[in-house]
Amino acid sequence: MLIDILWGAIAGGTALLFAALGETISERAGVINVGTEGTMLSGALAAFVVTVNTGHVWLGVLAGMVAGAGLAGVHAWMVVYRRASQLATGLVILFLALGITSLYGADYVSSNIHGFVSWRVPVLGSIPGIGHAFFDHDPLVYISYLAVPTVWFFLFRTRWGLLIRTAGERPESLRAYGISPTKVRAVAVVLGGALAGVGGAQLSTALALSWSEGMTAGRGFVAVALVIFAAWNPLRVMAGAYLFGAAITLGSELQVHGVRVNQFMLDSLPYLLTLAVLVLLARRQSQAAPEALGQEA
Amino acid sequence: MSALENPLTELEVVAPSPTPVVPASDLTARALKFTLGLGRWVLIYGAALVIFGAFVAVRHVDPIAMYTAMWSETIATPYGFGQVLDRFGPFLLAAMAVAVPARAGLINIGGEGQIVIGATAAGGVALALGPHTNGVPAMVLMALAAVLAGALWAGLAAVMKLAGNVNEAISTLLLNYVGADVLSYLVYGPWKDAAGNGQPASKPVPVNDMLPTIGSLEAHIGFIIAIAVVIATALVLNRTRWGFSLRAVGGNPEAARRAGLAVATLTISAMLVGGALAGLGGFVQFNGLEGQLRPGLAATFGYTGFLASWLGRHNPIRVVAAALLLAAIVVGGDSLQISTHLPGQAVNILMAVVLLAVLAQRPKVRAA
Repeated sequence: MLIDILWGAIAGGTALLFAALGETISERAGVINVGTEGTMLSGALAAFVVTVNTGHVWLGVLAGMVAGAGLAGVHAWMVVYRRASQLATGLVILFLALGITSLYGADYVSSNIHGFVSWRVPVLGSIPGIGHAFFDHDPLVYISYLAVPTVWFFLFRTRWGLLIRTAGERPESLRAYGISPTKVRAVAVVLGGALAGVGGAQLSTALALSWSEGMTAGRGFVAVALVIFAAWNPLRVMAGAYLFGAAITLGSELQVHGVRVNQFMLDSLPYLLTLAVLVLLARRQSQAAPEALGQEA
Repeated sequence: MSALENPLTELEVVAPSPTPVVPASDLTARALKFTLGLGRWVLIYGAALVIFGAFVAVRHVDPIAMYTAMWSETIATPYGFGQVLDRFGPFLLAAMAVAVPARAGLINIGGEGQIVIGATAAGGVALALGPHTNGVPAMVLMALAAVLAGALWAGLAAVMKLAGNVNEAISTLLLNYVGADVLSYLVYGPWKDAAGNGQPASKPVPVNDMLPTIGSLEAHIGFIIAIAVVIATALVLNRTRWGFSLRAVGGNPEAARRAGLAVATLTISAMLVGGALAGLGGFVQFNGLEGQLRPGLAATFGYTGFLASWLGRHNPIRVVAAALLLAAIVVGGDSLQISTHLPGQAVNILMAVVLLAVLAQRPKVRAA
């Protein structure tokens, strides 16, 4: 049973992981995108529509990525170049995505796709227990395993990562070096949106294999919470994503095993946990926060 | 977490300067400026209509026919206008729940949860009172419960801010989901109407305890309550010591502290009043329209209110206009389904484009 919960946590937490990794990049550059729910949703629909029409699920993922990046691009343009409020614009992005996906998604509600199927990794997948939990998933899960260290390396060991973190801590010092903090921020937000789009694609083309209106069901908001929970660290984001993924899948898993548990209490767990972390670790958390988060560059 | 943007900085820029006596030659300049300003707004809203029209045209729907239908089913008929007013009431209260804390430089994204908790409290009182109630006193009790519950929900965020330095924008956002889960838990569990048809919903409120409706409009009086409360709030904000102190805290908390203002008390009170307004919005929605609790009650009302407050730049009079506009757009969306078979949610595009255009307008004063 523990293995099943772990498997479910990873399968259910992967969309969250992609979105939260994206949000980490964006927030490291100083930009909060509460529209992540919207970028995920647009990624989910774009991936599904392209997969239905072309039959190629990888093209679908690419489309999801482009859709997420495009919508995040609107956010970037508004908050970075037009200096609009980050929180208000984020919510507008969500409404925009809700509108666009319901308008163009209506025809696809009952469509079927040949999406991703589970692929057991040779050797690793045959380790008893752990093999099933970690190495018996759809390919996007394996990509997310690679994405975590990649994002970490990108943020903390590359020149671009340094620029992004500086744009989030002291944007004015970038300007002193002749680098435009606005451009760096815009790039980070768009990158973040692309990852959120892949997260949405995982939902529609691997997890659910269908499209329904509002199918992200709040995962984008959980992703924003998760980034704070994880103190803007990609490795902790991974742990948090599976923890939150477990909360999402735990209810049905326990029910299968005859344990009655209220789903709504479990649903609220990620939010309560994040609030608890914020209160208990306020000092650590506020030190970890990018200094210019939410401020203009 | 570091300070998020202060929503009040824009307000200070547009704060009215004392009006001197205008020489005649300035009048033409003023008229020109006014016309240009008006022209810009016409352009913004016109462009939004064109963009949304293009979106639906892709789906082979004639935009002109769509707008005609939206117009005739919202503003043009008493019934349609009544529906707009029914939405307008809770939207306006949700918007003021953002505007009041904004005075003190606080960002309340939690109207969404505060409305839901307010409605839940009203519903809880209704269940406790049972079927034999006598109208007005019962309604007053429900309204009080809603106001208190909304204030409490926002107060949680205020306490977390003061005790743990937790950013209120984040905590109120997270509490929205907890609020929705509380409501779902109750209507799927202990408060589920056993005599109902299996749907997760509470027992309907007695008809006597529902807000009365106004004749031909078929709108309940919630919008009148909302407007009255907003006028009172605006007066308190602009005429009382408390209102001025909030503004001082919002402008520069450090200076306010040095001037001897109780910043902590002001912060808490601003959030409590905001939450109370949203809670009242929950009461208006519950006792005006819904009559029974269900999952998804008042969903997105709080977020729409948040956007209405930004659309009106947190200024009560403009916020009234903004809430009315957004209510009309949302009700227009409901008519989309009937007239064009497009999903009603599609109208969110129109709302979003208007807001993007407005949020992208910034006073040119700030160079930094």
